[in-house]
Amino acid sequence: MRTNIIALSVIIFTYCMSAQQMRIEKHSKMNIDCKTCHTCDVPTKADPCLTECPREKIATVYQKPEQTPELIKINQLSDRYEPVYFSHKLHAQMAAISDGCENCHHHNTSGPILKCNKCHEVSRQREDVGIPDLKGAYHRQCMDCHREWSHETGCNSCHNLKTDGEKSSPKFDYKKYAGKDHPDVVVPSVINYKTKSDRGEIVTFSHNDHTKSFGLKCTNCHKHESCSKCHDVSHKTSEKPKEVKTELSFEQQHKNCINCHEKNEQCNRCHGRENIEPFNHTKKTGWALNRHHEKLACSKCHGQKIPYKKIDNKCSSCHQAWNKENFKHSITGLQLDETHIELSCEDCHLEGNFELKPSCNGCHENFSYPNKKPGQLIRN
Amino acid sequence: MPGKSRRDFLKNSIAGGIAATGISASVANAGPKNILSADRMGVLVDTTVCVGCRNCEWACKTAHNLDSGDLNSYEERKILESKRRPSEHALTVVNEYTHGKNSTLPVDVKVQCMHCDHPACVSACIVGAFSKQENGAVIWDTDMCIGCRYCMAACPFQIPAFEYNKAINPLIMKCDFCFDRTKEEKLPACVGICPTETLTYGPRTELIRIARERIKRDPSRYIDHIYGEYEVGGTAWMYLASKNFTELDFPLLSKNPAPGVSESIQHGIFAYFVPPVSLYALLGGIMWLSKRRKEMEGEEKI
Ligand code: SF4
Ligand code: SF4
Ligand code: SF4
Repeated sequence: MRTNIIALSVIIFTYCMSAQQMRIEKHSKMNIDCKTCHTCDVPTKADPCLTECPREKIATVYQKPEQTPELIKINQLSDRYEPVYFSHKLHAQMAAISDGCENCHHHNTSGPILKCNKCHEVSRQREDVGIPDLKGAYHRQCMDCHREWSHETGCNSCHNLKTDGEKSSPKFDYKKYAGKDHPDVVVPSVINYKTKSDRGEIVTFSHNDHTKSFGLKCTNCHKHESCSKCHDVSHKTSEKPKEVKTELSFEQQHKNCINCHEKNEQCNRCHGRENIEPFNHTKKTGWALNRHHEKLACSKCHGQKIPYKKIDNKCSSCHQAWNKENFKHSITGLQLDETHIELSCEDCHLEGNFELKPSCNGCHENFSYPNKKPGQLIRN
Repeated sequence: MPGKSRRDFLKNSIAGGIAATGISASVANAGPKNILSADRMGVLVDTTVCVGCRNCEWACKTAHNLDSGDLNSYEERKILESKRRPSEHALTVVNEYTHGKNSTLPVDVKVQCMHCDHPACVSACIVGAFSKQENGAVIWDTDMCIGCRYCMAACPFQIPAFEYNKAINPLIMKCDFCFDRTKEEKLPACVGICPTETLTYGPRTELIRIARERIKRDPSRYIDHIYGEYEVGGTAWMYLASKNFTELDFPLLSKNPAPGVSESIQHGIFAYFVPPVSLYALLGGIMWLSKRRKEMEGEEKI
């Protein structure tokens, strides 16, 4: 029991600690009145005199979703309804691609995380009607998204009616979300956007290439997604390429691409009449990627800077650390036998040019690679 | 009354009416009603947070002893597929429109009486049954209402409804801003029930300040227009929206108090309380005149 209490206090302590927020870097230079967050004239580290309900989106809450509470019990309507348990951790995980914590924890100072009822009053009849009351605030947070795919707005679509002690199975088993993580998102491989552009209405987006080869993180592009991006009946089949309909401005539509691709690129680089084949290193550059290179993110060889720098196909251009002493020939897929392993590189790779076919003529007459191999292939 | 004879009746009444009210300007007796109080109340309807649950419809009917049915039955969303108007059975209705920017989220708009600051219905009512109350509500006295339906014709928002189905003593019906509830310091029924506080009840001047602030804080969410701030001289119920109000079936109206009603007469009512009987003929005549003028100018585009 005692150990349990200690463990629990440690957890609570850690939670509170992690809930303490970082100071916003150089926030004093932001174009915001100091009085938005500080009540006194000279805030100090020791006494930052933070206001309770700042009405600016400057200070935000940064916690890993996993550090946050799993379920939050909301029981304001206990006279009529069973409590609603808000699966906070799950929602925080989803918020990673949807504006983060500040999606809900708007207007938080860099102080501790505020509870909703700190700013949102319980009574609808109140002095300051500029800030929504608690009922309004809760429902705006939940219903604004949930109705997008549930297409339901009735009270009973979330609240379990109280049954006066009678046993009945509640419509929603909120507690089942305790301990659950958001399942991995099914990532589409190719998306064919249908656009209205007269330069070619189809834009083929190789999602796979961007995530796997170009090494982009989900949040590089997906920052402000709405839940319905994934949670919609029409979006359930992610195996097939999705058709996405958007009504965004030219800038909004191109923003994610232009972040990396050159601004003044020809339209037809992306827009076409037909679906474009995914990027193929062999076709595009004439240099097939072997099994090692295939797995690498482009930036590993071509550098972080966009557009990628061109590189030649000399091994040493990238593998600068390789030298005669430490190079293991087996990495090429050919394990040299005992005799050949003793030779120096130039004995077969004439003049140290690894692009040319290796030569056996130094020792053998009428031998040629690959008919004769100086060892054993360790892959096909 | 068939059109021609009614017109004649009205035409003939004008002269007498003017004669009867000729002294109206000197009757400088400010009445308790029809005065625009500085701290009159209003409602700010933020259509960007309305979820279209229609709880307000249910609450309104319940508060007015109309047949409201079970609240759960309002979950049915098929009804939103067609546009409805407030009626004698439902003093407020919610209509649904497409968003424009987001195909998954509709825009829902609650419709009811706007409680105009310079109400055309008050000006049009030939027996003076309608009045603008100090708290902002435009209400009417059922005992005085003679069912002439001039208010219906005059209202720029087509709000007053008529109990056509009632054989005996059919009366006008419209949102009364829950006058009986607000008298007892209770919130209007729709304001009280709204889950998202789409409806903010407060002093009109404060609501305008709040609305401005919301637009400033989130300019991508709102168009820069508070509908009702200036329309027909200002209304107690005001709206914020994400798209142009004409696309949400709001009539395009000028800043001038209700088209079709002579402004000077209306001010006359507000400044000097004139006994309704003496105004009876005059207003009837003016309505006829302004209706004709409107016909000649062409219908105001809605
Ligand atoms: S109750 Fe509120 S949210 Fe629901 S339809 Fe009416 S105004 Fe909209
Ligand atoms: S909206 Fe129509 S009924 Fe309501 S106050 Fe204005 S004129 Fe009168
Ligand atoms: S204010 Fe009262 S009468 Fe008017 S719509 Fe709301 S509930 Fe109905």
